[in-house]
This record gives sequence, C-alpha cells and structure tokens, in this order.
Amino acid sequence: MRTLFVSFSLFSLLAFLVVLSLSFGAVSLSISEILSGFTPDSEFYFTIHEYRFPRAVLAVLVGAMMALSGALVQGVIRNPLASPDVLGVSQGAGLAAVVLMTLFPSVSIFWLPWAALAGGISAALLLWALCGAHSSAIKLAITGVAMAALYSSAVDFLMLTRPLEINNALLWLTGSLWGRGWDQVFMILPWLVLLPLAFWLAKRMNLISLGDEVATSLGVSIPVTRLSALAIAVGLTASCVAICGPIGFLGLIAPHLARRLVGGRHQILLPCSMVVGMVILLLADLLARTINPPIELPAGIMTAIIGAPYFLWLLLKTR
Amino acid sequence: MNLFSKILFTALCFLFSIMSKAVTVQDSQGTFTLDYVPKRIVVLEFSFVDALASINARPIGIADDKDKTRIIKQIKDIIGDWQSVGTRSQPSLEVIASLNPDLIIADFDRHAVIYEDLNKIAPTLILPSRRVVYEKNIEAATVIGKVLGKDKEMQARLAQHKDIMAGFAKQLPQNIEVQFGVAQENYISMHPGKSYVGSVIQSLGIATPAFIKDQKASVHTGLEQLLAINPQYLIIGHYSNKDIVNIWENEYLWGLLRAVQNKQVYHTNDPNVWSRARGTMAAEVIAQELVRILGKEG
Repeated sequence: MRTLFVSFSLFSLLAFLVVLSLSFGAVSLSISEILSGFTPDSEFYFTIHEYRFPRAVLAVLVGAMMALSGALVQGVIRNPLASPDVLGVSQGAGLAAVVLMTLFPSVSIFWLPWAALAGGISAALLLWALCGAHSSAIKLAITGVAMAALYSSAVDFLMLTRPLEINNALLWLTGSLWGRGWDQVFMILPWLVLLPLAFWLAKRMNLISLGDEVATSLGVSIPVTRLSALAIAVGLTASCVAICGPIGFLGLIAPHLARRLVGGRHQILLPCSMVVGMVILLLADLLARTINPPIELPAGIMTAIIGAPYFLWLLLKTR
Repeated sequence: MNLFSKILFTALCFLFSIMSKAVTVQDSQGTFTLDYVPKRIVVLEFSFVDALASINARPIGIADDKDKTRIIKQIKDIIGDWQSVGTRSQPSLEVIASLNPDLIIADFDRHAVIYEDLNKIAPTLILPSRRVVYEKNIEAATVIGKVLGKDKEMQARLAQHKDIMAGFAKQLPQNIEVQFGVAQENYISMHPGKSYVGSVIQSLGIATPAFIKDQKASVHTGLEQLLAINPQYLIIGHYSNKDIVNIWENEYLWGLLRAVQNKQVYHTNDPNVWSRARGTMAAEVIAQELVRILGKEG
C-alpha cells in the first residue's frame, strides 16, 4: 500500500516537473504554447522541441541511470555511503576528458563523449585488474576511492599546468545539461539495454544484503553477482558522465532517499531510485535554468548544493 | 493587389535578388554564406560587439554575463540598449531563439559545442575571439564587416583605427617594457605576450616581459614569480579595493621589484576594458590610457 502511494506521488511529481521544465525557463510559456511547440511551424518549435523537451528527456534518462547505478553499487558494496564515485569511474572519465581538452586542443569537441566513455570504462577495468574478481567489497571500495583521488589529482595537475583550457574543462567537470539535445539523447538510448539486466539481478542483491555467507549458502554466486552489478553500474555511469559530465551526488542521494521511502527490497528499490533520480535531476536543471535567467548554472552545481548537506547529515547520522 | 502591381512586385524582387549578391566568407568552421543583410544580430562575445559598434551596427542580444557594465562605455554610447542572452560560457539558447535573430556571431573557443544548435536558430558565423591576439581580432572584424554588408565602412574604420593607434604609439616612449595584470584575492593574473592586451601593447612598439612572452593564457602569479618576471613598468587592474596587492605592498619582496623601486607601478580601476573587451575600440581605449599613464615619461 505504502509502495503504491509512494510510486503514485513520485510519478505525479515527475509529471509535474516535466510540465514545469517545458513551461519555465528564460521565457515562460502557457500549456497551449507548449503543445504548439511540437509542431514544426510554431514560433516556439525551437524552444520546446529542440531545446526544453530533449533536455527534459535527457535529464530523465541520466537521472534514472545515475540513480540506478548508485543503487547497484550500494547494494553490492553493502554500504549506504557508497556510490559510483567509489569506483573511480566518473573521475576516470573526467581525466580522459580533461586530457583530451588540454593536451589535444585541436581535436574536435565531438570526440569528447567518446574519450570520457573510454576513460570511465578503463578506470573500471583497471580497478578490476588491481582487485581481482574475488576481493572483498571493502577492498574494492577503498582501492576505488584511492584511484579516484589519483585521477582527480591528475586532473588538477593538468589544469594548473595548462591554464589555457581551464575554463572549458572546469565547466565540463561540474556536469551540465546545457547545450545537450536530441543527439545526446540518441547517444544514451542504447545504454538502456542495461536496465533489464539490473532488474534481473534484484533478487540476488536482496540475498547479498544478508551477508556473503548466507547468500552463498542460498545459492548465489557472490563474485558473479557482484561483478555483473558493478559492470552494469560502470556502463550506466560512464555513459551518463560521457554525455553530461560528472553530475555529483546524484548516484549517492537518489538511492538513499529511495531506500527511506520504500525500504531495501531491490525489486522496488531499483525502480524507485530511478524515479527519485529523475525527479532530482529535473529539479536541479529546472532551478539551474530559472534561478537567475538568462544565466544558466550547471545542473551539477545544483545537485551538489542539494547533495552535500544531505551527505553530511547522512555521515553524522550513521556514526 | 491587382495584376499590374503583382508583376511590378515580382520584377522588383527579381531585380533586387540580382543586385544583392550573397556574401561568402571563411569562418572557423569553413564557408559561411548569407544572402541578405542581417538586421537582428545576436553576439556571444565582447569583441564582436566592438566590431559591430565600430560600423554603427546594433546587436539586439549580447551574451554579457548579465552585467551591462561589462560593455565599455564607448560602445554603449553607439549601440544603445540590448537584451542579455546569458553568460558567454553558457549562453541561453532559448533566449537567443526568442529574439528571432537573423544572424548569430559566436566564438569558436567557447561555442563550437553548440554550433549546430545555434544554426537551427539562425545562420551562425563562428569566429575566434577568446585567446586570440590583436591581429587575429582585426581579421575577425573584417569578416564581420563583409557579412553585415558594410565592408567599406569596416575597412575605413580599420584604417582610421590604424592611424589612431599610430598616433598613440608616437606619444609613447619606445624601448620600454610593460606588463599588465589583474589583481585577484590571492594572486595577480598576468596577461602575457600572446594574450590580447599583451599583443596590443606590442603593437604600440612596447615590449612585454620575455619571461612570459610566448604564453597565451593568463598566468596566475605569486609575489616570487612576479619578482622573476620583474617588469620595468607594471600596470595593475583592480576590481575591488581589497586584493592581494594591499598585502604584497607591505612585504619585503615587493620592494625589490624594479617597477616599485623606480615608481613605475600604475593602477587602473577599469580592468574590464583591458582584460575582457578585446576589440579595436577597446584597443584604442587601452592605448589612450597607456599614453595617459606613460606619455609624459618619454
């Protein structure tokens, strides 16, 4: 019953935010103007069909994928403070992007998502090579955090020694939906095949939360499940970061909020996290666009403003 | 409309289409063609505003970081009011679209990412502005003059600009070395030899310190690095009254700078025109201020 109520409220909130995203921005539009914006000869065609709508779609997709990725990582690492960031994927992607921007400034900007994607996946592979398939969750997390710190310091080093590209790189590293449109939506769509795979793992992840021994005695192969869950999380995070830059805290707080709302059963937790992620990113981007128009803040700043205090509160509470 | 006026109208349209031939120029993305004279122009960097103002063209929208004081007064007097379209780094595409522009002028460094989106709104001319030296900036202005159908005016204005700059150069001492930097909270951001202001200073026959001569981006300088650069003349721009220079002035190393020892440190309260504006009119303002500061020295 509670689940039904929560999902109903979340979906209403989501629908409401989508309408708000379409109607508000630097120029406010009425519902009829929004609807007319979907026909090519309307004067709002660019604003709605080419700008706000693809951006809202992208926010929904990226929010859902980052949140799902976070829920998977928290599930297998068995720590609510874990997030895709502990795997060093976002930082690896960030490093690859900054390397491309600073060391190869003549390379076309259109390679940026591919470089970031490759960076994120290589970071995950490197982590796997360092830890091996049978390592404990905690070893994985600590090694991941250490690698993430290494990538971040490499990024800082590059930006300090090559100040020429610093502004573009900084902008990218905050994570933003600005300037993203249908092209980016189509780039991210293929990654949605990972979603059913994640749901398929849900039951096993419930057992993992009982502890490695119990899960094993109930017939779950810990290494296989952990590896598949992390691989899916890496794919989801790397593709999102490649498109929007590393949008901070999303993968951490969305699953955590969802767990408070619907509890820890992964069959419900995973989809609920996704919807919470959609809501957070849509809200963050809406605020970023409308707080002081026509200035557009990066959505990553908004998620950090919401996320950092929440994270602190979480830390204090778990102590 | 009766038949006669229809025929007349068609004939006139035909005549005009022959007379007004399309303009084709090279921009940073390749060939750019426009077959009309743009009236509603949106510009996304300050140097383009400068170029427009120098031929009496008025942009309807400017990416001015939502701060109208960033457009220098000399330009404001010509272009009148405009609508802000957001920051230069992330201009708001929906505001640009809402202005119904018929030409957008974008910066290659900042806006290559959104070039295709901009083109969906209006034909987009993409030219270098950020991190570009004086000469390249004049080339960009020339291209803008052609696209606006004001090639002659632009050529005349650039010739006049050359004369003005030559006039200022005569009033300035030669064989000196000048360094410009903007004071921040904990460092001075030095504009080196290959920056816009560095190249303007060089075009006036004044040297810039060899230590950072070949750098393009501004160099964040501490006091020790400043001593290593050790410029003959130092011009510091201040955005506020509280910056690092207040602290450095009390330090021993500051007194070792030859600019300090020879009393050749100057301050300007309008670093905006030196560091952000980047255009021919801005260059004239910079040259004028250099003459005011250094002119009597010669």
